Amino acid sequence: MRLEIPPPMPPQSAPSGLIEVAGLTKLYGEFPAVTDLSFAVRAGEVIGLVGPNGAGKTTTLRCLSGIIPPTRGSVRICGCDMGRDPIEAKRRLAFFADEPRLFEYLTVAQHLTFTARIYNVANYQAAARDLLEELEIAGKADTLPGELSRGMKQKLAIACGFLHSPQVIFFDEPLTGLDPLGIRRMKDSILKRAAAGAAILISSHLLHLLEEICSHVLILKDGKKIIDGTMDEVRRKFSEAADGANLEEAFFRATGESKGP
Amino acid sequence: MGGALLYYEWHSRFNRVRARLQRLRQPKYLFGAIVGGLYFYWYVFGGLARQRYAGRTPAPLSPDSWELVESLAALAFLVVILLMWIIPHQRAALAFSEAEVAFLFPAPIGRRTLIHFKLLKSQTAILFSALFMTLIGRWGGGHFLFRAVAWWAVLSVVNLQMLGSSFARTMLLDRGISNRRRRLLFLGAVGVVVAGVILWARQSLPPPPVVSNPRDLSALADYARQILESGPVPWLLAPFRWVVAPMFASGAKQFCLALCPALAVIALHYVWVIRSNVAFEEASVELSRKFAERIAAARSGNWQAMSKPRKGKRPPFELRPEGWPAMAIYWKNLIGVRHFLGGRAWIWLVWIFIVAGSAMQHGMGRSGAGVMIAAAALMLIFMSLVSGPQMLRQDFRQDLRVADVLKMYPMAAWQVVLGEILAPASLLIRLQWLLLLLAVVFFTSTPNHLAVPISWRISFGVAAALVLPFVDFIALLLPNAVALMFPAWVQLGRNSPRGFETMGQQIILMFGQMLVLALALLPAGLAFATVYFICSYLFGMLPAVVLAALAAAILLATEAAIGVRLLGKAFERFDWSEGVGE
Repeated sequence: MRLEIPPPMPPQSAPSGLIEVAGLTKLYGEFPAVTDLSFAVRAGEVIGLVGPNGAGKTTTLRCLSGIIPPTRGSVRICGCDMGRDPIEAKRRLAFFADEPRLFEYLTVAQHLTFTARIYNVANYQAAARDLLEELEIAGKADTLPGELSRGMKQKLAIACGFLHSPQVIFFDEPLTGLDPLGIRRMKDSILKRAAAGAAILISSHLLHLLEEICSHVLILKDGKKIIDGTMDEVRRKFSEAADGANLEEAFFRATGESKGP
Repeated sequence: MGGALLYYEWHSRFNRVRARLQRLRQPKYLFGAIVGGLYFYWYVFGGLARQRYAGRTPAPLSPDSWELVESLAALAFLVVILLMWIIPHQRAALAFSEAEVAFLFPAPIGRRTLIHFKLLKSQTAILFSALFMTLIGRWGGGHFLFRAVAWWAVLSVVNLQMLGSSFARTMLLDRGISNRRRRLLFLGAVGVVVAGVILWARQSLPPPPVVSNPRDLSALADYARQILESGPVPWLLAPFRWVVAPMFASGAKQFCLALCPALAVIALHYVWVIRSNVAFEEASVELSRKFAERIAAARSGNWQAMSKPRKGKRPPFELRPEGWPAMAIYWKNLIGVRHFLGGRAWIWLVWIFIVAGSAMQHGMGRSGAGVMIAAAALMLIFMSLVSGPQMLRQDFRQDLRVADVLKMYPMAAWQVVLGEILAPASLLIRLQWLLLLLAVVFFTSTPNHLAVPISWRISFGVAAALVLPFVDFIALLLPNAVALMFPAWVQLGRNSPRGFETMGQQIILMFGQMLVLALALLPAGLAFATVYFICSYLFGMLPAVVLAALAAAILLATEAAIGVRLLGKAFERFDWSEGVGE
């Protein structure tokens, strides 16, 4: 059974992008984790966030999802300013961390009940049932997270995140721990949600994955934006020296990293 | 290969000590180490000095008494060893860390080398424990060094026995002898031996003495001496006596003579363990995983989670999808509480009160029992005020590891704080109100048999019921504030530190929280006194108590509300990736 995706929540105003980042800077003490980052993601776009380890990808995602406040700059989600109106901004987004974080005393079904109340999702039962079936964990409704495999935990986190039909979705390494079928389903699910009008940002080191599903890409290094644009733009920009460069090639050229022997 | 393992062990220990010394450059660890060291010094050496100053050094025992104590120690040791053979049910599993499993199990290392490595590792813990027991175990005579070596011998035998018995258990299981059958066999053998001893005692010894004066146990001691030091029992106890004998040696020569048999027992155990060829790897992998989970749970401040929940609990009430979102956090935490304090705990509490009450009524009469129940209830209320907030941790102390998830929720930070603290607070309040009700019902007279009128009991009961919830709430806010504002001072992260420094930090935090709580209660106390002073003139004492409590409760509620708002700000600033578990 395939999930019928409910229409995304309407944006508060009519922004040019569902995700708008302007001059985002995050300092840890004196250390700049992210410096003056600006970009926008419109409805239906899937943007890949790539960069070497320590480039500031996770810090960027945490700032965008309101987990940590930026030192400077602004983040707008569906027109809601994360600094001024965090509750409305958070209501419209979902963030999936690389490691699923679940409550060890709540069963699968109780996680969904809990999430429904947090996001005030009326009549959530049907949507929850469909999500559990789509993610193939319907038979685990009364199971505690401790008894689930890592992949199943991730599916539960995804079910909780999708329950309120977010319009903006952030993924941090979304394919970790999934089996091949799970990976295929996840890719389909991302594309389907983008087609339904969601703006999606994916941070991953799996460049071939990003190449398959992203319409745009943003390369970070040392907390600074190297480039952002459509996949073709980025590839073209870094393929002047070598014809037909793919995203991997573009990544190495953009970041000045050696591909190795 | 042994060289590599020695290298690993030596450098692991060395680096750990060096890291601990290096972090003393940070004031929080330095102060913690100073306070922890002072506390340990006060506990160990201060106790000795106080004993000497007070002239309470125990009088030296006679040689006969020493012999009896030695026999009793050997008997206790025998019981410990027997329990090791009867109670455990798991297959042999040597406790390795997850990293050790990952590196050593696939490496070309023989099983015997792994056992040697494990024995070597356990020696560090044994030496430390022996030193600790020598320091705190002030009883007995002999030189400090002799006692330390004697403790080392006892603990080494215990360690080797534990290992050897687990190997033997696995071998029996492999040969189809189940745990149940093994236990029956052992208990049967123990039963036969005990029956034989009883039979011998009944035939050879006079009947056991009747103790009429509990202060004079000399007749009983003589009887015990006869049983333990004549007939078959000394033969049974001989190997155990050899192990504990160095503890009771009075001089260097006696110690050396006593140590030789103990060393022989250790050597025999060592040969037994090393020659056992039992597959322990699979069970060890599982054990290391469970151990790592428990350590992570304990270090995240979630002591209850050390025992993992096995099945989901029914929610305390139906959570509707619409409404105040903080209620969802309260609902979630209540489910967590029910994993440890479910209906069974409440049934136990009521049962204890009924049994204790009827026992006291039997011995003291109805009114005496009532006073005792009321006094116990009041004492438990006080204890719950002091220790309840430290024991009930279904709040931020449990949830900080998922702080990122909580921060993503579309709700104000103060609502998250309120939702977090409501569950332990409601539980404490329910318990205290129940105890308060018992106190009001049963406190019918004072210990001097003066009647306490019902109007008094109701007035004071209502006053306490008004104030207690807010005191609980503030008392719970404090440890949560510490967790949010000084996460590196509390054990939350996976890499939280241990040792003297941590102990010192805990002491500092405990005193700090008590001081802040006292300061927070001060204005309410003043308000209570002022309103009571005024109202007692106007309305009399009993209404004044209730009105004064109401005023104090309003003030405490205001403080709690401010505290929730401030903690909400702290939660907004909180970042798990900063400063936790440094």
